[in-house]
Amino acid sequence: MTRCKPLLGTLVEISIDSTNPSQQFAIDQAFSAIAKVQNLMGFHHPQSELSKINACAHLQEIEVHPWTAQVLRAAMELHSQSNGLFNCGIGYRLVQAGLLPKHVDLAQRDFGGIENLQFLDSHLIISSKPLCLDLGGIAKGFAVDIAVSTLQSNGIQSGCVNAGGDLRIFGEKSKTIQIRNPASAWELIDIGKLQNGSIATSSLYFSKRDQNSISYVVDPLNDKHVDFSCSYSIIAEQCIYADALTKVLAISDRTDHPCFAYFSAQAIRIDR
Amino acid sequence: MVSAPIMVQAKIYVSIEQAQNLIFPNKVFTKKPILVTEDLQEKMRSASSIRHPFQGDRIWQADDGSWFVVDEVVGKHEMITYAVGLSPTGVVQGIEILEYVESYGYEVAEAQWRKQFIGKTAGDQIKLNQDIQNISGATLSSKHLTDGVKRVVTFYDLALKKPSRK
Repeated sequence: MTRCKPLLGTLVEISIDSTNPSQQFAIDQAFSAIAKVQNLMGFHHPQSELSKINACAHLQEIEVHPWTAQVLRAAMELHSQSNGLFNCGIGYRLVQAGLLPKHVDLAQRDFGGIENLQFLDSHLIISSKPLCLDLGGIAKGFAVDIAVSTLQSNGIQSGCVNAGGDLRIFGEKSKTIQIRNPASAWELIDIGKLQNGSIATSSLYFSKRDQNSISYVVDPLNDKHVDFSCSYSIIAEQCIYADALTKVLAISDRTDHPCFAYFSAQAIRIDR
Repeated sequence: MVSAPIMVQAKIYVSIEQAQNLIFPNKVFTKKPILVTEDLQEKMRSASSIRHPFQGDRIWQADDGSWFVVDEVVGKHEMITYAVGLSPTGVVQGIEILEYVESYGYEVAEAQWRKQFIGKTAGDQIKLNQDIQNISGATLSSKHLTDGVKRVVTFYDLALKKPSRK
């Protein structure tokens, strides 16, 4: 069965290859885990741990939840492996563009990036500069991974978690995956089957037609919004890397960027 | 070789009965349709950003006073049918998406879209067994849905809530 709930600013589908009603509990637990990721790392929530980091990490040490620590560590690794192309410190640019809510006073601060963040021990962080981190480019993938491990630890053998197009397939069964055609988003391109893996896609076909015409992808090296008409997908084992690496692919426009090999990821570009 | 393109299919997740059981396990619901007057409709319009009329014939109540309301939100390119479970005091207990339909990018009149939802019966359950497509790609935001849930809560305040006893 497949269930769907609104979470992470999108619709999240959880499918399990079982019709046993007693396994509903596992799906409920997985949705709760995703809601917890949202509460910890949502930019939109003024009370989230992320908002606390953005408000105070340059003033004092902050103890963070193990999940937040895990995402921040992955973000630091992605930043260094992509030579700075992945940097979740671009939140202030998205606030300026009206793509994120304004919780911070933009005028007063010289914002740093993820490179200014330091771990003092496993869950204790501090920053050398004020931060305006947005984990929107990585937390969704992480939430998918957490949902999958929650399902597995509740005895679910196989299934799929799809958070607004960032998805992970787990278990023995492989599943057919489709990517939206960037020239016509209601047309799907069958790219084959995936087993025990994740795929995420970045494209602007919906966001450009909705409210703003400004791209949500920002190049951290020159602070410019990156416009593109094609569709960029990454296949990786874990969804956190699939999700984050789509930004490296969209910004670099290079399917052979060396960091994909480092993360054992495959890049797919579909031209319009 | 040219083959017909694969189109996005309507996604049907759970039935009304399943959603009732997911949000409120083991509760028995009775249908409680409510006449939505033009005055009430107008109040809801001004309290939420949703324009299309609210239908009062998809409301259920459990013995303990909990409410279960089905509504839909219509965006430019999509339509989402969803259920909201409310406690007897109007606190949201759960949201479950029942169906998600995308238009194919042509000018699809709202009325035409709706046609497929009118008169839905238990016979439609067959569709529930269909495999849901695994689509990777940007999705429409769920902002409309957030507005929809607000509208259901507004409806509770205006029409379902018991007047407070003094």
